[in-house]
Amino acid sequence: MATTTASITLSSSDLLTDNLSLSSTMNLYQNGTTATGLDECNYHRANIPTGTNFTLIQESAALNTSGANYVYIINKNTDVTDYVTISIRSEVIGHLYAGDWMFVPYSDATTATAGVDDPSGDDSDIELQAFTHECTIEYALFHVGETLLTASDS
Amino acid sequence: MATTTATITLASSDMMDSSLSISNTSTLYTAGTNTGITETTGLARKKFATASEFKLLDHGLAGSIMADITDDKSAKVYIKNLNDRGDGTKYVAVLINSIEIGRLYGGDWCFFPWKGGNDKDVDIDPSDATETTLEYTVFFE
Repeated sequence: MATTTASITLSSSDLLTDNLSLSSTMNLYQNGTTATGLDECNYHRANIPTGTNFTLIQESAALNTSGANYVYIINKNTDVTDYVTISIRSEVIGHLYAGDWMFVPYSDATTATAGVDDPSGDDSDIELQAFTHECTIEYALFHVGETLLTASDS
Repeated sequence: MATTTATITLASSDMMDSSLSISNTSTLYTAGTNTGITETTGLARKKFATASEFKLLDHGLAGSIMADITDDKSAKVYIKNLNDRGDGTKYVAVLINSIEIGRLYGGDWCFFPWKGGNDKDVDIDPSDATETTLEYTVFFE
């Protein structure tokens, strides 16, 4: 088992009358365990052209079974007008502008009707669309296991 | 204008052959500008002991702060489950418009952009009726 931590610090000296300083650290544990760390991870970098909504993280029966996965996404662009929309099952969560990041748990828990591109019927993909300009995205999925696809030529 | 920053650090010394160390800081700006966000709910704390889904951030509440958050604006949400981890089976699911994003187990936090808009409330769906304490804040324009 691995030990992986995620820490956040939110700070401002001038948003409120008093300083804002909030910090928190969590361990990335497997579902149903007291202290067994997640031990699998994917880390990607991709250039996302405008005009199309892409699947960033594919739903997977293994992800669904676990229910304890974590996703980190950052928009590496620098032009403040560039942004991407982040969606789960076509539900837009929000916009990541240049430099913005997000970190969320991902349970891949929403069920839907099976389709040609969604044989499991669990269309809880995390989707992303770039606006204004092509956006460079880095993203990580910390998970307990993914469903591997059988090679078509095996 | 205010300057508010959000820093994340993801670290592991033993998940892979080499150490994992990801760290980034973003400044919270209004949508499409480099003008700092100037509004926040402040840090709030909520206790509950119910197994039923409820609205944590109610966009549909007329005249509320949450009703100001719309698609053309910038907003960020932070939520933390302050409970102990326990046996690792108790959690609160975070949902937007009834779509589950993920599950916060005891000690877990999340930080994400929020589009807001009609029916886009942020809901909490506990796994059971164990008393649970959440802390949360919203930064918005």
